[in-house]
Amino acid sequence: MSFVLVQVIVGGLLLGAVYALFSSGLTLVWGMMNIVNFAHGDFVMLGMYVAYVVYTLMGGGPILGAPLATLVLATVGVVVYFALIRGIMKGPMLAQILGTFGLALLLRYSVFWWFGANFLSMPPNIVGGTYAFAGLRIEASRLLAGVVALLVTLGLHLLLTRTSLGSKMLAVAEDQTAAQLMGIRPDTMQAIAWAIAAGATGLAGALIANFFYIVPTVGETLGIVAFVTVSLGGFGSVPGALVAGLLIGVIESLSGYLIGAIYKDIVVYVLFLLFLSFRPQGLMGKM
Amino acid sequence: MNLKHVTGLLCAAAMSLVLAAGAQAEDKVVKIGVILPMSGGTASIGAHAKAALEVATDIVNNAHPELGNLPLAKNAGLAGLGGAKIEVVIADNQGNPATGQNQALRLITEDKVAAVFGAYQSGITLTSSAIAEKYGIPYLNSESVAANLTERGFKWFFRTTPIATDFAKAYVDFLADMKAAGAKTDAIALVHDNTEYGTSVANTIAGAFKEKGQPVALDVAYPVNATDVQGQVLQLKDKKPDVIIMISYTSDAILFAKTMQSLDYKPAILLADDAGYSDPSFIKAVGKISQGVFNRSSWAVGPSGSPSAIIADMYKKKSGEEMDDTVGRQMQGFFVLADAIDRAGSTDPAKIQAALKATDLKPEQLMMGYKGVKFDDKGQNVLASGLIIQLQDGENYTAVWPKANAEKPPVLPYKGW
Amino acid sequence: MRRWIWLSVVAVFAIAYPLLLSSPFQQRLGALVLLYAIAASAWNIVGGYAGQVSVGHVVFFGCGAYAAMGSYAKFGLSPLFGIPGGIVIAVGLAAIIGVPTLRLSGHYFSMATIAVAETMRLIVTNTDWLGAAVGLSGPTVPRNIFDLSFLSSLPYYYLFLFVLVITLFITWWMTNSRMGFYLRAIKDSERAARSLGAPASRTKLYAYMLSAALTSVAGALYAMMFGFVDPESGLGILISVKILIMAALGGAGLLFGPLVGAAILVPLEEISNSWLGGKGAGLTFVVYGAIIVLIARFQPGGLLSLFTQRRKSKSDTESKSDTGAGHAP
Repeated sequence: MSFVLVQVIVGGLLLGAVYALFSSGLTLVWGMMNIVNFAHGDFVMLGMYVAYVVYTLMGGGPILGAPLATLVLATVGVVVYFALIRGIMKGPMLAQILGTFGLALLLRYSVFWWFGANFLSMPPNIVGGTYAFAGLRIEASRLLAGVVALLVTLGLHLLLTRTSLGSKMLAVAEDQTAAQLMGIRPDTMQAIAWAIAAGATGLAGALIANFFYIVPTVGETLGIVAFVTVSLGGFGSVPGALVAGLLIGVIESLSGYLIGAIYKDIVVYVLFLLFLSFRPQGLMGKM
Repeated sequence: MNLKHVTGLLCAAAMSLVLAAGAQAEDKVVKIGVILPMSGGTASIGAHAKAALEVATDIVNNAHPELGNLPLAKNAGLAGLGGAKIEVVIADNQGNPATGQNQALRLITEDKVAAVFGAYQSGITLTSSAIAEKYGIPYLNSESVAANLTERGFKWFFRTTPIATDFAKAYVDFLADMKAAGAKTDAIALVHDNTEYGTSVANTIAGAFKEKGQPVALDVAYPVNATDVQGQVLQLKDKKPDVIIMISYTSDAILFAKTMQSLDYKPAILLADDAGYSDPSFIKAVGKISQGVFNRSSWAVGPSGSPSAIIADMYKKKSGEEMDDTVGRQMQGFFVLADAIDRAGSTDPAKIQAALKATDLKPEQLMMGYKGVKFDDKGQNVLASGLIIQLQDGENYTAVWPKANAEKPPVLPYKGW
Repeated sequence: MRRWIWLSVVAVFAIAYPLLLSSPFQQRLGALVLLYAIAASAWNIVGGYAGQVSVGHVVFFGCGAYAAMGSYAKFGLSPLFGIPGGIVIAVGLAAIIGVPTLRLSGHYFSMATIAVAETMRLIVTNTDWLGAAVGLSGPTVPRNIFDLSFLSSLPYYYLFLFVLVITLFITWWMTNSRMGFYLRAIKDSERAARSLGAPASRTKLYAYMLSAALTSVAGALYAMMFGFVDPESGLGILISVKILIMAALGGAGLLFGPLVGAAILVPLEEISNSWLGGKGAGLTFVVYGAIIVLIARFQPGGLLSLFTQRRKSKSDTESKSDTGAGHAP
């Protein structure tokens, strides 16, 4: 195997880990509450702006920016849950699309109004340069995002499967009335789920900000990737999102390198459609 | 809250808005309709252009004798219309050809503008100018480069900017000069996005080099607003072209610069085709890791005290940004339009059209580095031209080619970071 | 009876509108409302009545738009001649897409339609014959009346009104036929409908194909009016979302829901853009987004469901006068 190909695959894996990172929040609310969140990409965008503000105001890098972005977005998540989601959750899917799409515009253009339309960027090397390893080159900021993606995915998975909070959340997802009869308060559980999902998304945004550009409309670019990742992985499956993210990252990199970048998204979508017709519940989803 | 009332109110509000629309023309004010992307992915262009047009309006409407030969600067207002002031009415095209056309119609029929100016994206210039053509209102475009715009047989459409064929020729000559100076320029790679801008400019450039007997060695197309460009950079690293010509918007330009640094790849010559590389956001974000990149521009700021330096200063005060080529071309186009209205001495569309056709501005009357402004039968400015600039220090572009206009000699090879 | 009175009031208003509000911009606004109402009503057949939320309907819209512009740009014919071609392509495509995707449940169907639409957009963007990213233009100067390139919006207005009436009539006829009965049963519970012998897959497919044909007509009319189509304006995902939002806002699954949605959103968008857009602060979309959020939050069944609710509760002789159906619990 040619050496460049190894670099392409490693690059794809790191990219895929980032896709997985910003998709895990979406899969959580989508799978658990059956909510299609069209504003997801804009949550990522908010996370990026929080990190940027932290950097410009306090000069802090990701060590300060990432936790703050997580906190801010978790708060936003809870507010959005009580103000909007709770009201449209049981409504038709259309109302959810309507509500979250409106929210997306509202978030995107509120940021636009405040920060303007200019492209912003974190200074290069804010995380610490690039590692050269036996000819392979790995950017520290991407490596950090990749590692955190793995940790977050693992953490979320453990939270859902090993803790009592997780089982309560799953119980609410499974059957709200039954859960209520068992003394679990669905509202609290779902608010917590939103806080976790939005927090993870904010964290993702803060980490992506280190190597990406920041602009109010960036959520459009990232949102659609998250949608495909989540559907491919199976709605609600956190490990599924990880595997799907990595897969998409590698497919994009390889097809971009081998057959041309303008075709790489076509390859991803066609594979996704083929896959859906064989396994309609996604990689790791339950039917 | 009673929702039936809310619904009723909404309907009523929508209706009353329709009825209320329709402004009255005032005396002594000449309205110019401006269509720009004020929202969406290219909104930063619109924001910069808005500030630039405010500066331009100030220059026309107030006395600015310090600006020398620039038409309309000396006295306040349009002398040809008894000192009438110019008013700019800006409309948002939302990056959508349909919206652009709707807004053109509104500007022409509701705001009764004397002329329309816009619309940045070629597709939107196409649809919005079609409305102006039907209504017989002059339309001046200062920045869309798609060749087909002036091939439609329109009588009311004028374009001041150089187009792809002009700067493709400049690139060929520039690289020939660099070769004569000892640089290796044999293998050329084109990197471009798949938008109308990226593909059409890339095709024109490829054609120009082929004509010279030097076909482009590598063509790397990528989807606009890419999430990742590692594959493309690796492809370049693999094939090792001598020259890379980048045709990219700001988002992708930033991503390419970052990725090239992280993958430690530098070509000998990196030549950019305006767009993203002229955006001040690009320089702020990644200028320090793009040192030595060449760029196409018609804008070169002169020594302090010169008209272009004064205008650049005014613009910076207004917007907080450095003046760049795109904004400069827009201001220049606006001045050409204002000058024509002044010479027409009337807001009658036919008279403005005639004045535009008779335009013959000399280089010293311009803020941009064109050889002049003079329209051919199709409405294209035949004297539009550009020069090559270089980001030598990572902060400011300096003119390096052609020699006659150069402030400093070009520095090779590409330094990067 | 009341229904007929309302209907005639709406009809009279629709016919008289461009005469009452006769400035070119108001007429164009009216034409745009009707145009989007056609597209949203077409979407309503599959998204509202059949409950299959397609977020990729722009594919069919694009078929029509490209067929209309293509027949001019490629063959020198009037864009009108592209309409039948667009319908054929759209229906064929609907069959190809529908067979594998319609059996997917809920969100997976929506995601599959997004993926199809995006694939199509990318393919067209990279196909030179279809104008690639530059797009295709219609006749810039009309050669004859069949080029449908008018200065005034009036001819468009009445043309669109005519097509909208046909679309609504087809929808109404469908809902009152056996097909409509099946669709309602499927929407309530597909499993139950199947067990009672309703041909669920076939019915959904027919609805999808019918919807595709009408959406393609909307796309063709759109391209004719603006004289231009490119991948973003003919196949961009935002158009799908816009169509869907209009139907949902007015009331999906209700005959006049899409029309109401279009009559509110199109003027709201154009006028808020006219008033606020030039300031460049993005306020247009802040207002637009906020209104959509409020409606989704407080009237998730769409605005028109207010009135159907009232009718239902009035005819209800039982004590529970307001069931609050559609309201958030």
